[in-house]
Amino acid sequence: MTDFLYPFIEGDERDASALLTDLANSAEAKATQSSALRATTLTDSAAAIAAAAAAMAERFAAGGQLFVFGNGGSATDAAGAAALFVRPPSGHPLPARSLAADEAVLTALGNDVGFDLVFSRQLIAFAGPTDIALGLSTSGSSENLLVAFGEAHRHGVLTVGLAGFDGGRMGASSDIDHCIVVRADSVHRIQETQAAVVVALWEGVHGHRP
Amino acid sequence: MTPHPKSDETLGPLAADLASAALALARRFASGATLWCWSPDASEHAQHVAVEFVHPVIVGKRALPAVAVTAGDSEALPILRSLVRAGDVLLVVAADAEDDRVTAVLRRAASWGAATIWIGAGVRPGDGDADHVLWLDGDVGLAPHDGRFVLAYHLLWELAHVCFEHPGLVREQVAADAPVCTTCADEGRLAEVVDVGTTTTATVRTAAGVEEIDTTLVGPVTPGDLVLVHAGTALTIVDEGR
Repeated sequence: MTDFLYPFIEGDERDASALLTDLANSAEAKATQSSALRATTLTDSAAAIAAAAAAMAERFAAGGQLFVFGNGGSATDAAGAAALFVRPPSGHPLPARSLAADEAVLTALGNDVGFDLVFSRQLIAFAGPTDIALGLSTSGSSENLLVAFGEAHRHGVLTVGLAGFDGGRMGASSDIDHCIVVRADSVHRIQETQAAVVVALWEGVHGHRP
Repeated sequence: MTPHPKSDETLGPLAADLASAALALARRFASGATLWCWSPDASEHAQHVAVEFVHPVIVGKRALPAVAVTAGDSEALPILRSLVRAGDVLLVVAADAEDDRVTAVLRRAASWGAATIWIGAGVRPGDGDADHVLWLDGDVGLAPHDGRFVLAYHLLWELAHVCFEHPGLVREQVAADAPVCTTCADEGRLAEVVDVGTTTTATVRTAAGVEEIDTTLVGPVTPGDLVLVHAGTALTIVDEGR
């Protein structure tokens, strides 16, 4: 059939060395894209990151705490962001936690009021005018993040968003005080750079003297 | 500010290490493996790896069995011991190459017949500490946070899925990659003591299953000890330096 065009497509391929070379080259190319995106984002968004970090530092100085949230891989990145602030590799800890960490709360809200409200209901319970809500989304359009930002904004919580692609609905939302967009179309590359943005925010918070 | 890695950095030897780890992982998945993920100090990384495989971000990629074990250090070993099966893969994300908690788990996983992958940063562990060591350069303290660990397991996922586009290579060498020992005639098989029988016998677990062995040569053993077994006899107790 198509064997003359794609000799290996029927599963007759035997020698892995060519594949291993291709894989290594692919890894190198993707890593180069990742670091280029990180460098571009940190440069282009330097002012936005500095402004967000300064505002966050003021909230921390006023006794506020940081609530971080996202879905899926971004939920784990949110947990990592909270860990960076509360259990830093250097410097003093700042109060921060992930809103996806408690399975009782998450499933109770998801089951009873719907998944769109799992973060907003927690912010209603926990967050006030000295606090910070940091939401991570690669699409920028996760419904439960937008609802959470809206609720947080109404309660005077400082809202910081990390989005990807073209910013999605988060990029256009007036509920988000500081929205940093990682302009790329790969979920993986966006997440890698969002992690670097989180580190830059953390460094900015610690470097800021309100 | 901490200097961030520049855009002209390369992966160096990590690129080839990722390639071989991805192919080995794809082969194990093709044979029915489950990927167990553990990160003793940052369970979010174990969870991130698992969700990548279970719920791929790219529509059309197959869902694969990957599970995060989020227990802390002292509870993780007994939990993994009961969950991990011969033929599975254990992936650990932990920065410190000198971490005894990690090496103890990785050695035992090998004795259970699991392939092992270790993602970390800083001082590189010995080659024997895991089947695949995926090691990152740069600041150790920030590696879990600044996206470097995330990049490593994203690439592992992406490359493993490329391997599935080469079914001949994923299927072909499963037999050679299966957890059978080809060197026991010389070196003995790694086994973990499950139970102690008489003063000269014990029950051990190896990649091939559970078996009775003679312990006359090594003297008393206790459950959890790692021993080298040859022809039904324990030749030595592995010194774990603990």
